[in-house]
Amino acid sequence: MKGLRKALTPFAPDQSGASGVLYSMGALTVIIDAGGCTGNVCGFDEPRWHDTRSAVFSAGLRDMDAILGRDELLASKIKLAAERIDTSFVAVVGTPVPATIGTDYKALKKLIGSRINIPVIAVPTNGMKLYNEGEKEAYKALIDEFAAEDPSDSKEQIVLGMTPLTYGKDHIDISLDDIRNIRGAGKLIAASSSGIDACMYLGREFEIVSPVYRNSIPEGIKGRTLVCHDEVVGKTLRDAGVDCDIATFFKLHDMVKQDGDKKITEEDEFIEMVRKGGYDTVAADICLKELVPDYDGSWVDLKCFAISGRT
Amino acid sequence: MEHKAVYYTAEEILKRGKNDIPSELQSGMSLVYSSPATLAYNSPGAEGFGVKRAGLSVPESVMLIVAPGCCGRNTSLISSMPEEMSEPDLVTGRHLNKIPDAVREVLEFLRDNRRKIPKAVMICITCVDALLGTDMDRVCRKAEDALAEGEFKGVKVRPCYMYALTREGRRPPMVHVRQTIYSLLEPMQKDAHSVNIIGGFAPLENTELIEYLKLAGIRNIRQISTCRTYEEFLQMASANFNIVIDPEVRAAAEDMNKNLNIPYIELTRVYSTDKISSQYKAFASVTGIDIVDSEEKAEADEAIARLKKAYPDLVFNIGECTNANAFELALSLTRMGFKVDEIYAALAPENFVYVKNLALLSPDTKIYCNMEPTMLYYRISQSKAHVTVGKDAKFYCPDIPNVAWNQDTRPFGYQGVRDLMNKVFEALKEAKA
Repeated sequence: MKGLRKALTPFAPDQSGASGVLYSMGALTVIIDAGGCTGNVCGFDEPRWHDTRSAVFSAGLRDMDAILGRDELLASKIKLAAERIDTSFVAVVGTPVPATIGTDYKALKKLIGSRINIPVIAVPTNGMKLYNEGEKEAYKALIDEFAAEDPSDSKEQIVLGMTPLTYGKDHIDISLDDIRNIRGAGKLIAASSSGIDACMYLGREFEIVSPVYRNSIPEGIKGRTLVCHDEVVGKTLRDAGVDCDIATFFKLHDMVKQDGDKKITEEDEFIEMVRKGGYDTVAADICLKELVPDYDGSWVDLKCFAISGRT
Repeated sequence: MEHKAVYYTAEEILKRGKNDIPSELQSGMSLVYSSPATLAYNSPGAEGFGVKRAGLSVPESVMLIVAPGCCGRNTSLISSMPEEMSEPDLVTGRHLNKIPDAVREVLEFLRDNRRKIPKAVMICITCVDALLGTDMDRVCRKAEDALAEGEFKGVKVRPCYMYALTREGRRPPMVHVRQTIYSLLEPMQKDAHSVNIIGGFAPLENTELIEYLKLAGIRNIRQISTCRTYEEFLQMASANFNIVIDPEVRAAAEDMNKNLNIPYIELTRVYSTDKISSQYKAFASVTGIDIVDSEEKAEADEAIARLKKAYPDLVFNIGECTNANAFELALSLTRMGFKVDEIYAALAPENFVYVKNLALLSPDTKIYCNMEPTMLYYRISQSKAHVTVGKDAKFYCPDIPNVAWNQDTRPFGYQGVRDLMNKVFEALKEAKA
C-alpha cells in the first residue's frame, strides 16, 4: 500500500528541515504545534540541541486555539517571549496543525510583525513533506527577508544545504550575515538538494558538490554501485569516479539525474532497485539493509541522519 | 536585555495565593521552551511511556500509526508501522478508508515474515484527526469487522489518540490510552484472590506493597507489564479490586468498575514515611487486610538518617522529569531536614498545597518552570545545590551529582524512599571519590 512503511520509520519531515536551517541564525523559532512536533525536532532531529542551546519554542497550541484560530493569542505569546529573549528575528514554522486549519502565513507574519520591532519570517511547512523541502522553504523565507541586493560585505564562498540532517556531525552552519551577504558571495556551493533549490532561487551560478565526499570515496565502494542518499552525495561520488546509480528518497533534480537514477518514495521501490540492479555495492544508511536481507553484495554504511537519525 | 531565567520563591507564591499562581509557572500560558525535560512532557508520544509505548504495552499487540510522517518520526526504537498521510489525504479524509486494508497488509506482512500474528492492532492517530473530528472508534470497528472471517479472525483493533492538542483537556492522551487498553478486557468470573495494580506501563519496583498483598492471601497480583501473553492480560478482568497508582488511570478504573464490576482504591506515591504509613493504614482498613509496616518504615527512616548523618547540610535541586511529584518530594526532603534550593516544574493549582507548606519551612526555595522561555538563560552558577534529582535537573546543573530517578519501573512506598536516599548517598559518595 502506498505510504505504508513496514520496515523503515518516517524520514525527517519538512519542519525539522526548516528548524535545522534556522538553528544557527539566532532566531526565536516558534514551531506552531501542540508540543509533539517540537519534541520531535529538538529531541530527535536536531543533534545540536544537547550541545548548543537555541531559542526553539513550541507554540503550545491547544484544541480550542486551533479550532477558534487564536492567532492573536499566539502573537501575544511571541511578543512576550521576544521581550525577554535576545533575538534578531522571529521565525514561525508550520506543522500539520496549521495546515489542517488553513493558517494564512502571510497574515500571521503581518500580525506578529505588528506587535514586535524585529523582522518576522514564516516557513509554510506542513509535516507531510520531507526535510529537504522544509530546508528549501526556510532558505527562501530567509533570502526574501534578509538577502541584500547589493551587500556591503562578501565572502569567498558560501555552502548551502550542508545541514545536520544530511551530513550529521559534518554539517556546516551558516549565519544570518551569510544570508544578508549571499548575493555578494564569490562562489555558491550546493551541498544537498535544498542547497540546489536555494541557489536556483537566488538565480546565480553555483557548483553542485558535497564538500565531505569531494575528495573522499568511502572505503569499500567497488564495482557497480547504488548510492542511496541525498542526490548531491550521489553526484559527488559519481564525479569522483564511482560507477553508480543514484536512488534518493528526497528530491532528484534534472540537472543531477542521469539514466538509471531514480527518485523513490516507497520501500518497495528501493527493494526493486537493489534486487534488479545487479549492484556490486550498495552505499546507503545501514538501516535500509533491513529491506533487502537477501542482498549478498557489499554494503557501505553511508549514514544519513534524515533517514535513520544516526550522526 | 537582562538574560535571566524567571523564578518565584515559595514565599512569593504563598503570598500570591492559589488563585494567583504566576503565569510564568503555569502550563499553557506562554511559548514552550524545549528543555530536554519538557520534550518528554511536551509530546504525548515523544519519550518515556507516551501514547505509542503505552499502546504497545498490551501483550501481543502491534501499532499502526496513521499520521503525517512527522508524527511517526520518533518511532525508531519501538515496533510500529506508520502509514504516512499526504496532503490529499488530509483534505479528503481518504486515509481513513485505507485503514482496514492497511491493517490486513500489516498482518499479512507479519505472517509472511514468520512473525507472530498479534492479538490486537492499536491504531495511533494524531492532532490532524483531532481537528478533523475523526470517529476512530467507528473506523476501528470497521477494520475489526473486515477481519471477522478468515485467518485473522478475532484480532482486535483499537484506537490510540495521540492528541497533543488535548493535553490539558478533560481526557488527555495518557488518560485516554489507558481507557483504550483496559477496554479490551471482557467480563469474566471474579477471583477473590486476584488484584490488579494499574496505572503504570512498567512494573512496580520491588516494593513492600506486593508483599503485603501476598501476605493477605492475594495469589494473583497482575500488572499489565508483567502479563506475558494476551490471554494473561485478559485475566485482569477477574480481579477482585484494582489498585490505582497513577491518577491518569482513574478514568479507566471507573470504566472497569462500571463494565467489569471491579472496584478500585487509589494509592499515591509520596516520599514522607509518615504519609506512607497513614496511607497503608487507610488501605488496610478499606480492604480488610492486615498490614504491619514497622520494619519497612524503619528501613526507610534508617536510609534517611544515614544520608543525613553523612551530609547534614545537603542541598537539593529537583526536577519534574522524575518518579515523584517534584513539589511533594521537595516538601518531604525539607521535612527530613534537608534543604531544597531550586525546583524545576510547572505549578498546577493542585500542587499549591505543597508549595504552601514548603514556604513555611523553606521560603527561599526558588521555583522555575521548565516550559518558560527564559529558561534558555538559566545559569547553573545561581545554584547552591550539592545534588540534583531528575533528568531535567541534570540538564540545568550538569556539574552537580545527579540521581535521574526517572526509570521506567516505578518506585513506590517505603521502597521508593529507601532507594532514593541510597541512590543520593551513592551519587555523592561517587562524586567525592
